[in-house]
Amino acid sequence: MASNPPSDAVATSPDQAELLAQAFRARYQEFDRLIPTLFRNDHPCCATLEIEPPVIGDDGDVEMLDVGADAHHPPPPTKPPKVRVEEDYDFDDDDEDEEPSKPAVPPLAATAATPPRPQINQSPSSSTSAPSQSGAPGGSSEVKVTREKLEADRKAAENSARHAFETLFFTLENDRDAMLEQRQLEESDRQVNAEANAATEQQPGKLASANLGASNLTLKHLIARIDATRERVKVSDMELRNLMSEVRKNRSKWASEDKIGQEELYEAAEKVVLELRANTEHSTAFLNRVNKREAPDYYQVIKQPMDLGTVMKKLKQHQYKSKKEFVDDLNRIWDNCLTYNADPSHFLRKHAKAMKTMTASLEPLIPDIVIRDRAEVEAEEAGQVDAEGESDDEPIMSSRGRKAPGSKKSRKGAAAAPREGTPDVKPPTVHLVRADSNPPGNNDAHSQNLSVNGFPTPTGGTPGPNGVAGSITQLDLEEDDYVGDLEYQSWKKITKKGRAKVASQRHKLIRGTRLNPEEPALIRSRIGMGRTIQQSLRHLKGMEDEQEEDIPTVTEEGEGEEDDQRLLPDYYDPLSCVPELPWRTVWAADEGEVEMPDTDENALRLAPRGLFVQPKSQLNTILDANLKKMQDTRKVCSKITVIKQMQTQTQIYPNQFTKYDPKEFVEQDVDDFVISEPGPIMCRDVARSSLQRSLGKIFYHAGFEEFQPSALEVATDIAADYFQKIGKTLMVYAETPQHDRIFTPEEIILHTLNENGSDVESLQSYVRDDIERLGTKLSTINERMKSYLAELLRPALADTGGDDSKLFNDGSEQFVGGDFAEDIGDDFFGFKELGLDKEFGLASLSVPLHLLQGRMHNAYQPTNATNAATSGELHKPPPPFEPLTQTLLKSQIQLIQPFFLERFTTSTTIPVPIHPITAPASPPNSDSNAVINDTTTTTTTGDSQPAPAVETEEALLEDEDLPVKQRPPKPRLPPTGKISMPRKRPLQAQGGGSKKKKKPNPVVNASPTKGGHKGADMLEGKDNRKESAGAQGMVRSFSKMSEDGGAQGMMSPESLVA
Amino acid sequence: MAEKDKFKYRVEIQQMMFVSGETGEPSPETTGIIEEIVRGQVIEMLLQCTQLAARRGSRSISTDDLIFLIRHDKAKVSRLRTYLSWKDVRKTAKDQDPAGGGAAADPSELMDEVAGSGAAPAGPQMMMKQKKTKIGLPWEVASYFSESAPEREDDEDEDEVEANAATLQRLKNADERTRHMTKDEYVHWSECRQASFTFRKAKRFREWAGFGTVTEAKPNDDIVDILGFLTFEIVQTLTEEALKVKEQEDKLKASNAGRESRKRKREQFLFHAQESRTPIEARHVAEAFRRLQAPKPKSRAMRNFSGGVMKTRLSLV
Repeated sequence: MASNPPSDAVATSPDQAELLAQAFRARYQEFDRLIPTLFRNDHPCCATLEIEPPVIGDDGDVEMLDVGADAHHPPPPTKPPKVRVEEDYDFDDDDEDEEPSKPAVPPLAATAATPPRPQINQSPSSSTSAPSQSGAPGGSSEVKVTREKLEADRKAAENSARHAFETLFFTLENDRDAMLEQRQLEESDRQVNAEANAATEQQPGKLASANLGASNLTLKHLIARIDATRERVKVSDMELRNLMSEVRKNRSKWASEDKIGQEELYEAAEKVVLELRANTEHSTAFLNRVNKREAPDYYQVIKQPMDLGTVMKKLKQHQYKSKKEFVDDLNRIWDNCLTYNADPSHFLRKHAKAMKTMTASLEPLIPDIVIRDRAEVEAEEAGQVDAEGESDDEPIMSSRGRKAPGSKKSRKGAAAAPREGTPDVKPPTVHLVRADSNPPGNNDAHSQNLSVNGFPTPTGGTPGPNGVAGSITQLDLEEDDYVGDLEYQSWKKITKKGRAKVASQRHKLIRGTRLNPEEPALIRSRIGMGRTIQQSLRHLKGMEDEQEEDIPTVTEEGEGEEDDQRLLPDYYDPLSCVPELPWRTVWAADEGEVEMPDTDENALRLAPRGLFVQPKSQLNTILDANLKKMQDTRKVCSKITVIKQMQTQTQIYPNQFTKYDPKEFVEQDVDDFVISEPGPIMCRDVARSSLQRSLGKIFYHAGFEEFQPSALEVATDIAADYFQKIGKTLMVYAETPQHDRIFTPEEIILHTLNENGSDVESLQSYVRDDIERLGTKLSTINERMKSYLAELLRPALADTGGDDSKLFNDGSEQFVGGDFAEDIGDDFFGFKELGLDKEFGLASLSVPLHLLQGRMHNAYQPTNATNAATSGELHKPPPPFEPLTQTLLKSQIQLIQPFFLERFTTSTTIPVPIHPITAPASPPNSDSNAVINDTTTTTTTGDSQPAPAVETEEALLEDEDLPVKQRPPKPRLPPTGKISMPRKRPLQAQGGGSKKKKKPNPVVNASPTKGGHKGADMLEGKDNRKESAGAQGMVRSFSKMSEDGGAQGMMSPESLVA
Repeated sequence: MAEKDKFKYRVEIQQMMFVSGETGEPSPETTGIIEEIVRGQVIEMLLQCTQLAARRGSRSISTDDLIFLIRHDKAKVSRLRTYLSWKDVRKTAKDQDPAGGGAAADPSELMDEVAGSGAAPAGPQMMMKQKKTKIGLPWEVASYFSESAPEREDDEDEDEVEANAATLQRLKNADERTRHMTKDEYVHWSECRQASFTFRKAKRFREWAGFGTVTEAKPNDDIVDILGFLTFEIVQTLTEEALKVKEQEDKLKASNAGRESRKRKREQFLFHAQESRTPIEARHVAEAFRRLQAPKPKSRAMRNFSGGVMKTRLSLV
């Protein structure tokens, strides 16, 4: 059996093919049998399988086992469906035995002349194949037979599906579709209802006016009562009517007093429509009207649109008068579809054809009835009353509609001509039988069953009377391509509703991508539990092959609602499969006997602390020490920065330097929490932030003082990813199959490291270079920084302390204060000698530190700042220079006189009278316009010899006294020391005035100096700040004006002048 | 003609290979492929540098960018730093004493003279004094802090010691090789040691490496010098690796030949001796390059368990 015959042999001889098939089957069984050895099971029921040695040996062994194995095992689970159908006829018969037995009891059945059953059994299968001719004597019974056949098929399908639960495993991927389709169906139901309601509510109010059928008579008073208080009843007419028909058990909602035959026709029609709609696999597209938006030209092509919803609506509005109208409408739906979607490959065609087939198969269910008005019929009857007396016996009965319309029709068929549209006429006898064999109770049961049924008759040879038969062969051909796995298809159909229900239940629990906390939980039901227990019991007993017949014993109550659920395999109801959880709390009646439940690992307890902080280790200690060192060094650095800044900056603002005082890194643990189970504690968020913190530390350790949160996030993600990869690699190596070589832990770790791009050496070198060595580097830098700071603070002492600069590191106050001298008993500063200690009562001979520091502070204040700050307090402003007049000019040195003379003539000075100052004057030789040289010509070199002034003389205006705009720029000495280019810009454009330009102007003398200097300062501002050294000379040269200016030079000159 | 134009550094590469241990005279194909590889490396370096600089927000590349690329090879970085500091010394010495500096003006010479062999006529003492300027790199500890403290005498960098060990090993190997050389051979050797891609041919180098297109047209002189240093290192690494490849190949051949024709071995004995002197061929270089380019587990690690095609850049030798 192992050898494969060549393929051509298969093709040629069918015998050989048969052989091959057998061989294949045998082999299949063999492998099937070996499955349990692959999946071990400790369950006692399956233990028998374990007895068999798990042979994976050669063929011989298997052959031997084969014989014994067959006894244990059920026949191959995938039976061809045909076989099952056959054997299911047995069930079928059983069911038939059971079912009619119930309704047979009611007294109504007494009217039946013959029991219905023999007839069914007489023609079980022939009816399916035989075409139903119109008007044939077997017509009605055929309807019934067809119905029963359908019923049987359904049962068979259910059974096979149920059987399949145990043999096959179905995946869940269709559930969503099922759910959606079901939902659509319900939606359409609702819509139809709403429309029907809207239609009836147009003439609201009177219930009596509503067509309640026969109930009008019997429940007359009730209805009248309800009508009277109609406003208070908050139910729609439709619901009320349904309620009524429910109250009147035997009547369907279609029953009508006035319309004869309506009940039967509509009952059957409704069933058919429901059936069709329930076939959601194909019916989805036909549930509702075609939307114009989806198919704009649809209504041009299709003149008479139709859909299942409309059919339903029409039914509810009682618009159908005969079977033909109804069937025509149905077929119009499919035909419309086929017409509109002419493309043969269109997907809807397939559905339409399937639906058409189904319609054809269901059609025989509908009795061929034409509805007539009671009045009309009665009028007819009135003409024939004498012909048949017995009908008069039971007017009530007939008025209840239970009276077979067929009988009337038959009479009509015999007497009167058939009405238009009536395709056929049924012989009376058959109708009698039919009427009796379908007692009202039974009818309801049937309708219920059929509404559940979703299984169409195999389309074999039941051609409808409407000539659908012609298309059936073609349909079959097309059907083949989707039928594929028949068993699976049928399973899908049968369980669809249940699956949809379960799926939608689950679906409700989830909102978006998360569980919806408001939604009530799914709770296991008693019935489900009972069923599960039953099943597991059966399984344990090893009788799973026997079909379930004992289940109902457990599930007595509420079976009805559970019924459809039953058609689902176990795994659709996982809640019921969960066994009872062991309860850990023990109630002890007697105090003495109480034993403390042992605190096993499942008791609640506090989680150990420190799970989310870094553990103490040598490496971490070094790391922390490094961080600390870095912080210290940064602190020193910030001090150095401040000092350097103070040296270069003229002005210091109180909040300019933020104090750098970092706190030590302390890892905070999470709060106490409680755990109840062993195993690692998983908490994604906490673990992540813990990792993030560690990364932050590493960042800091790598020199980043700050970092963006997003950068840290990204790094965290990458790190987490990497660690996961390491974990996975570890797992792969640790879980290597046994028959391969087993890795030792060291090997596992080494391999993992290598796979992830690392090795012991690199880790080692990281620790060595980047952590330990960094530590030493950091400490040297720290020391260096400290000594640098000390040098900056005390340059004078730095000379002495070149080598022992470390003394400065620790506070160093004693060194500065001279305390160190005390140790050696030396009077370092000579205080003792001066007797200062006695005078001031000094305890020690050291200089009080505050004095020293004050001095130090002064010493290291930036020089120009010192100037600015102190000169104002210490010196009085020198007296203003005497204005230069013609008279004073004479006393000046000869060299400079021509210059001043020229100035007197050229410059735009304003002559101002001057009050004489007591001067050792040279003789006033000339008139009032005489120009006198002043010695205080220029800035620094000017000798301050006061010159005698002459009254009311013209004086040369001082530069500072000029309006700002007119001042020439000040001559500046650039840092290079070279005198640069002569000024290029015209005077007027410049903001400053030349110092050289002088005019005596004592009145204006005093105040504008400020402004003058300011302007100059602004002009030079840039240079001044940059090359402070060079600029300083100039600033000093202005000493007479810098008394007030210097320090504040940040304001605009304009603001001052104005 | 075109061939000649295409390869511009045949002589230099030959010399470098000689210094790196290749005794024979490599063919033009070999030097050609090496030159192409070196050029690819230089361009890749320049590209990466430009990207780095752009990330810093600067348009022109700096020496730091270049050193950053090789930061993982600590020994190389250290060598480069020594080289740069010596170059600095040379420059200052030249500034101060143009006469003395002129003689020691060969950077490639300095490159190998770290151990103080005393080749520079300016005198090692003076140089040692000036050597104080140390090249600081932005990712070192000193740059963690906003202020820099002045250096002190007693700092001995451990990295340097380590790197020096590697350099010393190289020098020692060179010493071994030169031990038995005659005077002429030694002259040739020392000439070869001066071979450089950049020295005194900066313009040619720029054109060759496509400076104008890859990065800005006028990078620093320092950058060109560093590239000269690195190109030498590349050639050296390639040659060493290719030698290893060839050695393996020879071994394999020998064993194969031994198995096949043991009897004929005697006849061919003479030729065997000659065969061992064959120079490196282009295929050896190609294989060596392939080995050097093989993705390291480190670069692969993040792709574990994720599949997909791994695209890598040219990795720097």
